[in-house]
Amino acid sequence: MADNNVSDVNADGMSVEDQKRRRFLTGITAGFGAVGVGVAVVPFVMTMSPSERAKNAGAPVQYDFSRIQEGQMVKVEWRGKPVVLLKRTSEMMAGLDAIKGSLADPDSVSSAQPSYAQNNQRADFGKPELLVMEGVCTHLGCSPVEKLAIGPDPQMGDDSQGGFFCPCHGSKFDLAGRVYKNVPATTNMAVPPYKFEGSVITIGEDDGRTA
Amino acid sequence: MAIHRHDNHKSANALMEWVDKRFPATKVWNEHLAEYMAAKNFNFWYFFGSLAILMLVVQIATGIFLTMHYKPDAELAFASVEYIMRDVPFGWLVRYLHAIGASMFFVVIYLHMFRGVIYGSHREPRELVWLIGCVIFVALMAEAFMGYLLPWGNMSYWGAQVILSLFDVIPFVGPALTEWIRGDFVISDATLNRFFAFHVILLPLILVALVFLHLVALHQVGSNNPDGIDIYDNVDDDGKPLDGVAFFPYIVIKDLIGVAAFLIVYLGVVFFWPDGGGVLLEKDNFAPANPLQTPPDIVPLWYFTPYYSILRASTTSLLFALQIITGVIVLWLWLRAKISLIAKVAFTGLAVCVFAGLVFGSGKAWGVILMAAAIVCFFLLPWLDRSPVLSVRYRSLPFKIALAFFLVAFFILGYLGMNAPTPGKTLLAQICTVVYFAFFALMPWFTSIGKTKPEPTRVTYEAH
Amino acid sequence: MKKLSVLLVTLISTVVIGSSAFAAGGHGAAVDEVHMNMSDKASLQNGAKLFVNYCLSCHSAEYSRYNRVAEDLDIPLWQLKENLMFTTEKEGDLMKTTMPAEDAKKWFGVTPPDLSLVARVRKPAWIYTYLRAFYQDESSPSGWNNSLFENVAMPHALYELQGVQRKVGKADLESHGPIDAHAASDAVGEQRVVGDTVFELQHPGKLSPAEFDKAMADLTSFLSYMAEPAQLKRKTIGVYTIAFLIILMLLCIVLKAEYWRDVH
Repeated sequence: MADNNVSDVNADGMSVEDQKRRRFLTGITAGFGAVGVGVAVVPFVMTMSPSERAKNAGAPVQYDFSRIQEGQMVKVEWRGKPVVLLKRTSEMMAGLDAIKGSLADPDSVSSAQPSYAQNNQRADFGKPELLVMEGVCTHLGCSPVEKLAIGPDPQMGDDSQGGFFCPCHGSKFDLAGRVYKNVPATTNMAVPPYKFEGSVITIGEDDGRTA
Repeated sequence: MAIHRHDNHKSANALMEWVDKRFPATKVWNEHLAEYMAAKNFNFWYFFGSLAILMLVVQIATGIFLTMHYKPDAELAFASVEYIMRDVPFGWLVRYLHAIGASMFFVVIYLHMFRGVIYGSHREPRELVWLIGCVIFVALMAEAFMGYLLPWGNMSYWGAQVILSLFDVIPFVGPALTEWIRGDFVISDATLNRFFAFHVILLPLILVALVFLHLVALHQVGSNNPDGIDIYDNVDDDGKPLDGVAFFPYIVIKDLIGVAAFLIVYLGVVFFWPDGGGVLLEKDNFAPANPLQTPPDIVPLWYFTPYYSILRASTTSLLFALQIITGVIVLWLWLRAKISLIAKVAFTGLAVCVFAGLVFGSGKAWGVILMAAAIVCFFLLPWLDRSPVLSVRYRSLPFKIALAFFLVAFFILGYLGMNAPTPGKTLLAQICTVVYFAFFALMPWFTSIGKTKPEPTRVTYEAH
Repeated sequence: MKKLSVLLVTLISTVVIGSSAFAAGGHGAAVDEVHMNMSDKASLQNGAKLFVNYCLSCHSAEYSRYNRVAEDLDIPLWQLKENLMFTTEKEGDLMKTTMPAEDAKKWFGVTPPDLSLVARVRKPAWIYTYLRAFYQDESSPSGWNNSLFENVAMPHALYELQGVQRKVGKADLESHGPIDAHAASDAVGEQRVVGDTVFELQHPGKLSPAEFDKAMADLTSFLSYMAEPAQLKRKTIGVYTIAFLIILMLLCIVLKAEYWRDVH
C-alpha cells in the first residue's frame, strides 16, 4: 500500500521534470496571487488619504488684495493655517537688503517656496512688494507675531528693520519671512503657491507656473 | 515537513533553530498544518470552514478602515456613512465589502453548519467542536445585529427597536433590562454609542477567541469527512492514516480554489449588485433614522428571517396547536413508549408545566421563547441524533425525508420573514414552525428507524 | 444526498429570486418604467441642470459635491460655475439649498427632504412617474396635487416646463394595455396616462409632453447617479476584478491537480 502513502511519493520520489513543473506552477500561482493581494491593498491604503471634504476645506482661497493699504498686513486662512498678506512699503523693501548679513538662509536655498518666490523679497516679481507667506514658525509650528515697525524693539533688537517674532521659542524672521542667525528655527517661513487675476490673489494654486 | 527538510539555506535553518528553542514555531506548523491529516475525499462542502475564517479576516480588515471615518453619534452617523460612500477615496468599496460581507459571512456559516449536519460532524467525538461553533453562530448574530444599527438608517433604528423589545417579555426584570441595554427610554445616541463599542471591540474579540477554541477542539479530534468514517481506522506502519493527506499543502491548495470561486461570487455581488435587489442593502435604510415613522416594509435582514417568522407565527392558534401536540405526546408516552415509570412521570410533569404555560402565557412571550428555542435546538443536535452512521450517504430514508422537510420549512420561514404578514402567510409560517420543531423533537425517533447502508472501511475516493 | 443538494439549490434560488423581486417591487402602485443610461453623459448633464434649476432651490443634496458631479458628468469647471453653482462659490462645496429649513417648514408644512439618496429610497420608476403626475387641484393648499403621492405638500415645481394638467380619472390599465406616453401631442385637451391616472393638458408648457418625459427621464437618471456616484466606476473595476479572479481560480485548479497527483 506504499502508493497510498503520500509522504513516500512526495517531492522525494518525483522526477526532476515533475519537480520543475510543480515549482513553476507554484511560483506562477503564488506570484499571481501576490499581485492580487498587492492590488487589493491599494484601495485600503487610499481610504486614508485626504477625502473630498478635506480637499475642499484645503481648496485654494481667494482674496482681493487691493483692499490692503501700504504697510498693512492681513491674515487669510488656508488649509487651517494663517497666511500672511503684507503689502510692504519702500522702506520695508529697502530694509530687506540691509540685514542680509544676519540671516541664516538669505537666498532661501534650504527653505520652502515656489521658484517664483525664491528671491530677495521672497515674492513674485510682478508684485514684489506683496509678501504672501504661511505665518507658521519653521521651528515648532507656532504663529509668529508681526513686528512691522522699523526701529528698536525689545524682541527684535535695536536695529530692527521690522519682521516677525515667534513667542514660543524666540525665533526671529525679517519682513520676507527669512530667519535670523542663531535662533531655534533654521529655515525661512514657507511661501504657498499663489497666482494673481487682476486684483484677486488665489492662494494654494499657481497652475504649475514657475515664474 | 516538506518545507524544512529541503531547505538548503543554512542560515534560514539556523534562524529556525534559534526560534524553535524559544517558540514552538516548527512544532505548531507541523502539528496543525504540515502533519495535520485530513481525509482525501473532502468535497466542496469542506470549503466553507476556511471561507468562514476568510470572511472573519475580511470583516475585521474592512471594519478597521471604516472606523477611521465613521462617527458613532446619532447626529452624525448617517452622514458619516454617506461621507464614506462619496468623499473617502474607495470608501464605497470598503463599505460595500463590509455590509455585503456580513451577508456572505452568514451564507458561509449556514452552509458550514449544514455540512456538519449532513456528514454527522456534530456527532461523537466532535460535540465540543459543534457546541463552540453554535456559540460562534450566536455571537455572530449579536455582532451582525449591533452592526446593523450603526448606519443609523430608518431600518437600523426600527430593527433595533423591535429586537430590543423582545427582552421586555422576560418576567419582572424585562422592561428594566431593556432600558439598561438601551441606556435610554428609546433607541438613542447612547444605544448607538454602546453598540459601536460592542460591535468593534467586544464581539470581535469574543469571535476571534471562539474561532481559536473551535480550531483547537477540531484539531484535538481530527476532521470528519463525507463518508463519516474514522480515517485513523486504517493507518500505515508509521501510524499515518492511509486515507489522509497533509493539510498543508494538499487541503490548503484545494481550499484556494474555493477561495477564488467564493471571491468571484462575493465581489461579483459587491461590484454588480450591491443592494442585492433590496435584500442585502434595504431601501428604507437609505433614509435616516426617524423615530416617528416605522418603515412600511420593515423586516430584518435575511439571515434572521427564519427565526423572525417563528416569532411572528406565535399567535393564539399556534399556541392552541402546541397544546394539542403536548397532549398527544403525553398520551403516546403512557400508551406506547418503552421507558421507565419514573421517566414517564417526569416527562408528564414537564408536559403539564409546558401546557399550563401555553394556556396562561401570552403569544408575545411564547414568540420570544420559541425564537430562542429555535436556536437552542442547534446546540442539542449531537444528542438528538441517534443514527448509527454519521454521513447522509449511508443514512436511512426517514432521516433524508425529515431533513428535506426541515430544509423546505426553514426556507419558507426565511422567505415569509422577508414579507409583510397576511393571514394565509401566517398560517403557512405556523405550519413551518411546527415542522421546524418537529424535526428536532422527533430526531431521536427518525434517526433510529429505517435501514442504514453499510459504511465502507475506506473513504470513497477516485484519483483524477 | 444528490437529491438533497438539488433541493437545497432549488430552495436557495427560489428564495433569492422571490425575495429580491419582492424587495424591489415594494408596494404595488402603478408606475411607468423609465429608460436610464448611466453612460449617456448628455442625459445626465441635462438632469443635473434641471436639478439645480428646479429642485435645489428647496431641496438639498447635502452629501453631493459640485466638483464631483462636474468631474463624473464631464462638465468643465467654468461651465459648472456659470450654469450650476447658484448657492455657493466653492466648487468643492456640498449641494445645499439656500432655503432655510425653518422657512421651508413654515411655507410647505414639512421640510423638503434631502434628495442625495432619494433614488435609493424610491425606485427610479417611482420618481419618473411622480415628477409627471402633478395636476391642478384647488382644494389643496398649494393648488397642486399628485396622483402617485396624494396630498403631497410639494407644489408642481416644473409646471413651466410641463404646463398645467387636470386629472380626468383612473385609467383602466387592463383594457388599454400598455400606453405609449410619447404618443400624446401637446395640443390642449389631449389626454394621456401617467401611472394609473388619465390627465388632460389645460395649458401647454415650454416643452411638449414627449420632451417633458425625456427631461424627466434625464432628471431621474441624474438622481439615480447622485444616489450612488460610485456606480459609474464600480462596474469597470468589477470587470477587471472578476477577470483576474477567474484566471486565479484556473491557476489554482491546475496547481491543485498537480499537487494531488501525489494522492492515489
